[in-house]
Amino acid sequence: MIQFWDVIERAEKGKSLDVNEWDRLVGKTTAEVVAKFDLKYDPDNPVPADDALADRMYEAGIELFARMGIFCIDTGKVLQFTRQEILEALENAPDRAVYGSGNHTVKIPHRTVEDPRDPIVNFSAVGTPVTEELFVPVCQSYAQEPMADTFSGPLITKFRDIGVSSGSPVEVEAGIWNVVKLREAARWAGRPEMPIHNFMSIAERTDATIAAARPELGALPGDGLFVAAVAELKVDYERLKKVAFLLHSPYVIGGLYGPLMGGFGGGPAATAALLVAHHALGVLAFRAPRHNAFPVHIHNVCNTSREMLWLVSVTGQALARNTHLVTFANAFMASGPCTEMILWELSAHSLTSTVSGWHLNPCAVAKNRQPLHCSAMEPRIHAEVGHVAARVGFDRKEACRIVKVLLEKYEKQISQAPIGKSFTECYDPVTVRPRDEYLKLWDKGKKELTKLGFDFELIQQ
Amino acid sequence: MNEILTELNKEVQIGDADKVKQLIQKALDQGVSAMDILEKGLRSAMEEVGKKFETLEIFLPEMMSAADTMKAGVEILQPHLESGSEGGKLGSILLGTVEGDIHDIGKNIVKIMLEGVGFEIMDLGFSVPTLSFVERVKETGPNMLAMSALMTSTMVHMPRVIQFLKDRGLRDKVKVIVGGAPVLPDWAKEIGADGYGDNAAEAIKIAKEMIK
Repeated sequence: MIQFWDVIERAEKGKSLDVNEWDRLVGKTTAEVVAKFDLKYDPDNPVPADDALADRMYEAGIELFARMGIFCIDTGKVLQFTRQEILEALENAPDRAVYGSGNHTVKIPHRTVEDPRDPIVNFSAVGTPVTEELFVPVCQSYAQEPMADTFSGPLITKFRDIGVSSGSPVEVEAGIWNVVKLREAARWAGRPEMPIHNFMSIAERTDATIAAARPELGALPGDGLFVAAVAELKVDYERLKKVAFLLHSPYVIGGLYGPLMGGFGGGPAATAALLVAHHALGVLAFRAPRHNAFPVHIHNVCNTSREMLWLVSVTGQALARNTHLVTFANAFMASGPCTEMILWELSAHSLTSTVSGWHLNPCAVAKNRQPLHCSAMEPRIHAEVGHVAARVGFDRKEACRIVKVLLEKYEKQISQAPIGKSFTECYDPVTVRPRDEYLKLWDKGKKELTKLGFDFELIQQ
Repeated sequence: MNEILTELNKEVQIGDADKVKQLIQKALDQGVSAMDILEKGLRSAMEEVGKKFETLEIFLPEMMSAADTMKAGVEILQPHLESGSEGGKLGSILLGTVEGDIHDIGKNIVKIMLEGVGFEIMDLGFSVPTLSFVERVKETGPNMLAMSALMTSTMVHMPRVIQFLKDRGLRDKVKVIVGGAPVLPDWAKEIGADGYGDNAAEAIKIAKEMIK
């Protein structure tokens, strides 16, 4: 059984390779694996109901990881693992993740394809820049949502009017402030000990993260932290240092993987195989009991286009059918808050993910780059659709039919998606309540979805 | 002549380096000028490759393969290019991902495209220390400095580089463009960059406009 120490040792003693050679090798090897396992993207079936395809995708991902391994940027070494080591690690990986403690415990089981159980939903303002003044209201809006099992925050780019740059003392101060304010938001939401699945969104460096990781500041035992791989199949010592710290802490490690569709791997099938491989990376190098996938389109920075939904679905099914890992799908929307387009994007992604075996982690919006463009209405919509999808008992064929109708409503607009409205236009920042415009828009959306087979009364009981 | 350049264009896009080398030799033997081979056979191919990548008709591995093939072609073409023409280079660009940011896929795509259309690229790599950008500008005197960032926490280094360039009296000597996932045009303007590219195609357009 591979231990973390073995990983570190291999990062020091593995075969040397130039990073550019690694990037080229990823494309070449992935293409070979995709051809060997006959993996083909099918635009007519964005949610395929094909168990054999899912199983081949899993095998392809494992073979890809066994052939490639992991590249360590700091040492220029390749960390290689045998197939036996990989399978053993997956077999021994946790089949549940637990956040929080006492009455605030959130137990997250492995999910299966077409699982009738509600998905767990991590509400998150993924990487959206906000101001210091709005940080707490934004976080509170997420934490107070009834379907939020855990939450995490956006980020600030300026702290006391100084830019928060990685590696600076400001980063350490801002990182500590981040944790204090997240916990404060949970308190104002009426859930003071609510688990925070990723307590650090502002600081990148490990020293700043460690400085902030203290219960007296608000990072409670049973909170979590994400450790992100670098596309594709790369890690560095900053990441591995976080793992070394977290293994000795009471915090839950979340592996985070965002292969780029169209990037070093290639197209949808290749990127799906890479995403499977990244989960093996997360088990071995990050020691993660839960895994987050955010594959995105290299140009459109979303995962709601037809090929991205196919990729999300096939990868989810591959992992759900062949492992007992706890997996979450991160939702990345092209459009912004309070637009009709985002209703359909959120619905398509949530439905696809829920029937394909994922838990849900909504969401990045407006291509994850527009300051202040986020609100808790987006994860609310995503969570409600996911819960209803599970309770109605949609199977993949039914989900595919609905997703195709939804895609018709927005896919042509993806490259020019509207950025939507800002937090203060979507919410009253004083009462932290959504404004009528957004609530009415979602009511209208629910009526449309009801016509397609959703029954929202199932979540009102 | 057009036929062989068309074939050359096609083989660059396919990424067959051996075939491209043969075709270049054949074209030279037929009396086609080295500049025509470069412009109409190789660079035009890379422009098409760039367009195909923008619409994801092809993916990054195919684009990288075409770029490698073009490089192989340029190598054998180099001795035939007129001396003093600098190999038909459009200008020099210093390129890197800012301090703390190890994500370089975007920077690499921009590099491939800029090289493909004829710029000389000095790639400083990723997580380039702020002062290294400044020192390299001083040492190499490029026409342009292009900085990339994938993370909001690292793009903050861009204005610091620009400030250091000002402090050392270098700002007027080099054009500065910025890009990357979290970078927006308004922010680029606010920090005093000369230009902003939302993607590789825009970066090329801006570079061509600014370096004349």
